[in-house]
Amino acid sequence: TVTGMVSETDTNIPIAGVNIIVKGTTTGTVTDFDGNFSLSVSQGNVLQFSYLGFVTQEITYSGQAPLNVQLVEDTSVLDEVVVIGYGAVKKEDVTGAADLVTDKDFNQGPVVSAPQLIQGKVAGVSVTSSSGAPGDGQEIRIRGNSSLSLNNNPLVVIDGIPLDQGGIGGSRNPLNMVNPNDIESMTVLKDASATSIYGSRAANGVIIVTTKKGKDGDFKFNLSSLTSVGSPIDKVDVLNADEFRNIVMNHPQANATTLSLLQDYDTDWQDEIYGSAFGQDHSFSATGKAFGVPMRASISYTDFEGILKRDNFKRTTGALSLTPKLFDDHLKIELNARGTYTENAFGNRDAISSANSYAPTQPIYDSSLPYGGYSSWIDPATGLEPSLANTNPVALLNLKDDVAEVRRFIGNAKFDYNLHFFPDLTATVNAALDKSNSHGRVITSELMPTTDPTWNGARTSFRNESTNNLFDAYLTYNKTLNEAHKLTVVGGYSYQSFEYDNYSYDSELEERGNTYEFIDKSKNVLLSYFGRLNYGYDNRYLLTATLRADASSKLNPDNRWGYFPSVALAWNMHNENFLEDSSVLNELKLRVGYGEVGNVNGLGDYQFLTRYLGSQSNANYQFGNSFYQTYRPDPINPDLRWEIGNTLNVGLDYSLLNRRISGSFNAYIKQTKDLIAFASVDPFTNFGSRIDKNIGDMENKGVEFAINVIPVRTDDFEWSVSYNIALNDNQITDLPFDQVTGGISGGVGNNIQLHTEGEAPYSFYVFQQIYDNNGKPIEGAFVDRNGDNVINDADKYVHKNPYADVIMGLNTNLTYKNWDLAIITRANIGNYAYNNVASGNSYLNGVIPTTNNFLWNIHSDYLYTGFKNQTDNNFLSSHFIEDASFFKLDNITLGYTLNDAVKDASIRLYGSVQNLLTITDYNGLDPEINGGIDNSFYPRPRTIVLGLNVGF
Amino acid sequence: CHGDLDQFPIDPDSFTEQDVFANATEAKGALAKLYASLALTGQDGGDGGNADITDIEQGFSQYTRMLFNLNELTTDHGVVGWGDSGLPDLHGMYWTGSNSFTGAMYLRLAQQVSFCNSFITNAEGLSDAEAQTFIAEARFLRAFAYYNLIDFYGSVPLVTKITTDLPSQASRTELFNFVETELLEVKDLLPDAKGNEYGRVDKVAAWALLSKLYLNADVWTGTDRYSDCVAYSNDVINSSYAINTVDANGNGTAYDELFLADNNSNGAQNEFIFLVNFDGKQSTTYGGSTFLIHAAIGGTMDPTEFGVNGGWGGNRVTKNLVNKFETGDQRGMFYTDGQNLEIESIPQFSEGYACTKFKNIDSNGEQGNDKTGEFTDVDLALIRLPEIFLNYAEASLRGGGGDMNTAVTLINQLRERAYGDASGNISAADLDLQFVLDERSRELYWEGQRRTDLVRYNFFTTANYLWPFKANQKNGTSTDPFRNIFPIPNNTISTNPNLIQNPGY
Repeated sequence: TVTGMVSETDTNIPIAGVNIIVKGTTTGTVTDFDGNFSLSVSQGNVLQFSYLGFVTQEITYSGQAPLNVQLVEDTSVLDEVVVIGYGAVKKEDVTGAADLVTDKDFNQGPVVSAPQLIQGKVAGVSVTSSSGAPGDGQEIRIRGNSSLSLNNNPLVVIDGIPLDQGGIGGSRNPLNMVNPNDIESMTVLKDASATSIYGSRAANGVIIVTTKKGKDGDFKFNLSSLTSVGSPIDKVDVLNADEFRNIVMNHPQANATTLSLLQDYDTDWQDEIYGSAFGQDHSFSATGKAFGVPMRASISYTDFEGILKRDNFKRTTGALSLTPKLFDDHLKIELNARGTYTENAFGNRDAISSANSYAPTQPIYDSSLPYGGYSSWIDPATGLEPSLANTNPVALLNLKDDVAEVRRFIGNAKFDYNLHFFPDLTATVNAALDKSNSHGRVITSELMPTTDPTWNGARTSFRNESTNNLFDAYLTYNKTLNEAHKLTVVGGYSYQSFEYDNYSYDSELEERGNTYEFIDKSKNVLLSYFGRLNYGYDNRYLLTATLRADASSKLNPDNRWGYFPSVALAWNMHNENFLEDSSVLNELKLRVGYGEVGNVNGLGDYQFLTRYLGSQSNANYQFGNSFYQTYRPDPINPDLRWEIGNTLNVGLDYSLLNRRISGSFNAYIKQTKDLIAFASVDPFTNFGSRIDKNIGDMENKGVEFAINVIPVRTDDFEWSVSYNIALNDNQITDLPFDQVTGGISGGVGNNIQLHTEGEAPYSFYVFQQIYDNNGKPIEGAFVDRNGDNVINDADKYVHKNPYADVIMGLNTNLTYKNWDLAIITRANIGNYAYNNVASGNSYLNGVIPTTNNFLWNIHSDYLYTGFKNQTDNNFLSSHFIEDASFFKLDNITLGYTLNDAVKDASIRLYGSVQNLLTITDYNGLDPEINGGIDNSFYPRPRTIVLGLNVGF
Repeated sequence: CHGDLDQFPIDPDSFTEQDVFANATEAKGALAKLYASLALTGQDGGDGGNADITDIEQGFSQYTRMLFNLNELTTDHGVVGWGDSGLPDLHGMYWTGSNSFTGAMYLRLAQQVSFCNSFITNAEGLSDAEAQTFIAEARFLRAFAYYNLIDFYGSVPLVTKITTDLPSQASRTELFNFVETELLEVKDLLPDAKGNEYGRVDKVAAWALLSKLYLNADVWTGTDRYSDCVAYSNDVINSSYAINTVDANGNGTAYDELFLADNNSNGAQNEFIFLVNFDGKQSTTYGGSTFLIHAAIGGTMDPTEFGVNGGWGGNRVTKNLVNKFETGDQRGMFYTDGQNLEIESIPQFSEGYACTKFKNIDSNGEQGNDKTGEFTDVDLALIRLPEIFLNYAEASLRGGGGDMNTAVTLINQLRERAYGDASGNISAADLDLQFVLDERSRELYWEGQRRTDLVRYNFFTTANYLWPFKANQKNGTSTDPFRNIFPIPNNTISTNPNLIQNPGY
């Protein structure tokens, strides 16, 4: 029996709970509160001492009495490197609000695109998929909206290449181009002191994606494979056939003609357009050193169906990364090439709204009609589909073929040369090309029901090309003086150009003798100088200062250059004497940062120039017998300037109890000045009623808190929980005019949202519904808010907004022996949605349209409201603004790892369920709606996944 | 690389000022835009994009559609069943400064002033004689825009050069004087009667617009100008324009030819002094005659009889209009099958008679150019000769000094055409102001005149004349007189602090 004590090297403080095991056996013990232990051993046994946050130590027992062991703190946690743009720093040296998520923490399940990997993981970052379609885009918001006209998407930087923030024709989501299995880590830069090195494009935060690279050592191979099946969870609550029949028969406008339209079928159109969606995803990678060069190569193939029939996403990716080092490591080269080929087949989404309104009493098929066997409404006068009638959803789905293929290449070559004669200095050059090419075409069958007597089918096609060139060159000076002063200075230049060349074709226009080929081209250039200084004193005090100067070709030469500075201070309190000896505290860092960033993202090109736009040939004007192309002067704004965002951020990073508890806290105020909005102008002073102009200010303020806890950690069992919560308050603080936005379905030109001073952007702007004693809304009865005895626009009021006040994520991981279990949940509180599915389509009058030759199904909300008329006031009733707060159980994954089944290979099998549970009061299909207007939403499926990872 | 920051448009549809005003031939495309701005809604046909006005759904921003909405739907001539934002407010007379229809008309007309100002300045650099005609036409079109602005909004900025300086309002009288002065100048610069291409204006258009201006002078400036109205009406009446008397489709009257697909050639063109051109293939919009035709079809109506592919089930008329027509007057073109004369509730198409005045078929019964039945060819007259006849009569009755017998003769020309014979003719004893107003209804209904007429008679907001659902009451009621003019858009007011909102709004 051996006895002894385990303590910390630096402080000699005893450590409780250290695992001690006789290597190769199951014999072991743990240290008591004073660090003492005793264990039966034999001479020559190897004892293994392990404890989280310390380097595991092995000691061969040779009769020591007592056996006192000192464990050394494992600094690898602290050495974790965070990429911050044009460089990287150790985690301990970070001064801004930056969250690093590495592959071990990524979400699992049927992940197609990078942002899904961090959904719910980072405080203050909301990732909302725009629909349930495979591969569809996500709306990513970091700390709310900060712009009105411009886009609010964060800048995504992949291996140093800032991606174009626009979309690509035919692509569901530009971020689909990276195989998620190739991603090593994602860093989210949230505050301006962290982002301002990216200057004008960082207004909405930055997500830095670092892909996996080659490593020294033997080749390792990894195979990941999954299959999945998705199915619809719920349906839109529309009238069923019996309810509908009953309503039509008792309808005040019903007559013999109407009743003769009613058939005896019982068709659930939603059942007809949705189905199970199968998917598979396979990727294979090889990492190692070949011919002395570390390399990684990967290929992947993804094929996901959508639950909307005919919807399909297929992707093949290939990536190669070479990271040779030459001249005694003085020259580091990084070569990345990534190619993606995507084939999209888009299910016709018009079928979704049609399925909500097509009468359930009608059959799917009717072979007597000329529409390929599909049934249709018929106007007896024309013998064709009536004007304004909805089209058979199944015909919509099957008679339209919409496909696109997207090819994209991203490659870069980066050279870091550490000067031989002056090793403190490194010169870096990074040149990159991001080129995409997409083709697509839509063929609508000649069998598709339509009002057009000349209809013979239609074809449209397009070809889009976009080219984004990047060239960066910068110098990094790195010096440590007297071991206490650490200095890093970076200075450089960046050039990036974006060029678009789009072509489209329309056969219908060709048949009409109009122009049928269109070319759309533009180019813009961004040119920048940047510098950053990092100074650290004694590992305790850190200073970061950056300055970026950006010039954009989108702005008038006089307003073209923007200068975006930032400064941040951090204090590593745990390295101070008074805390250094703490047994509780491992890290405590206080950060304060302030920075400015600019924004012209999403702004159109050439707006400061006088331009005339020629008319298309179907908008020409006739003089005598000739038609003339017209030239219109375009609206112009020579005074456009950078939109400027200032952020003040105060943060605290902490870790306690040997890092079993860690996390961060941030509080921020972000003010956007000179907000660019698509603003009214006096039309006597311009060529349009609105131009993009700098007008108004906006503010986001909030707090974020994240905590990771490991309540249990033993050899066999580990349980970790992480929780994050973010509160954000977004307000337009200055806007001289109100701007309506948020077009809805129902009537034409109805808008449900408003940008107005003192409120959140995109606030709902509605009439205040009056309810009877039973809580039932009274049709047409609204509160006369201004008391003038007339209900008109002046009585509308701001009522809620679509953005959550509180966003939370709660995740937990359990591993027990070879089993692993991960649960991901999210909650949003205080977000509201406009239930446009109900509001647009729940009126008795809508059932029998004025032309009397077809019928229209309505939403079951009618059974509650009894609303008769489709009026603009009814569409805009507060009744349809619903609380869409939710709690979602996003994913549960259970895995089992076989370590020894195959020699030298690790095999993990897992099963996972995506979108398991949603708790909400919202009446629509899904409370999580981008932008807050729920209209013909493509439902998110519940997906069951079986997967396999093999490493060897 | 800094030079790379100077990027210029590379799109083939984008042109510079040098391209457009290189010579008169090129500049004609810019002139065409000034006319097209009253017919189309942007640079893509079918309202498919590149809209001129971005504050309203593109198809809604078409000038004659808005003219219908503001001048007909607000009156006894029309109701619409749709729930489009701000639309029910018009007949209900409860619009506000945020109304998108009253707002969009302001934006379109002010934009037209800007287009004209820019054109005039640029074309002044051209030496061709043709360019001088272009400039006179642009000045006419600018005067026409201001004529509308005075009528709809009262006092608006008077801007004659492109500038970014925020303007202040000119008084209604100052605006009136400007329009008068401009028209008096350009009338001699424009080509002689019928001396310009179809679709472009000549001298007679200037005279006719002066006639309209002077008729309303009392309301707009407080000083009546009826004798000037009579004088310029006379010039128009004595010009080579003549009312169409060709019953090309042989249905017994030459009136309906004015609203057919071939009204640019069936004889109707002889009385079109100022018009907007449409073509189902090359000049397409969901406003214009496409709107007037489709929107009027619903219930049991057969769209193929109107040369279109379907009805939108929107517009109908009130009984007041229907009741103005006596038996035999073929101008009253209504559809009654399944329709109730009395309106119980506006959203139902069956309430109120439907109107069949405009048809996308030609005099031979053939459909217009667009065989899909979507877009129509029917050109719309903004000023046609009969209006000037009626101006002459009204101004004379109001003391303008015209000859009453001439007035009776002119009106009887219209009535003979309407009845197909002399059975509807009137005598001098029948002619009074109320008769002229009713005759204007009968002759010009749904052509964008009614509100202006009712205002001139002080009938628009008062209890002197009521119609179903006037001011949102079933039997009609009076409303505040401030509604005789529309509000300046709230958004425009908030962008330009110099502007003062019209009283009451």
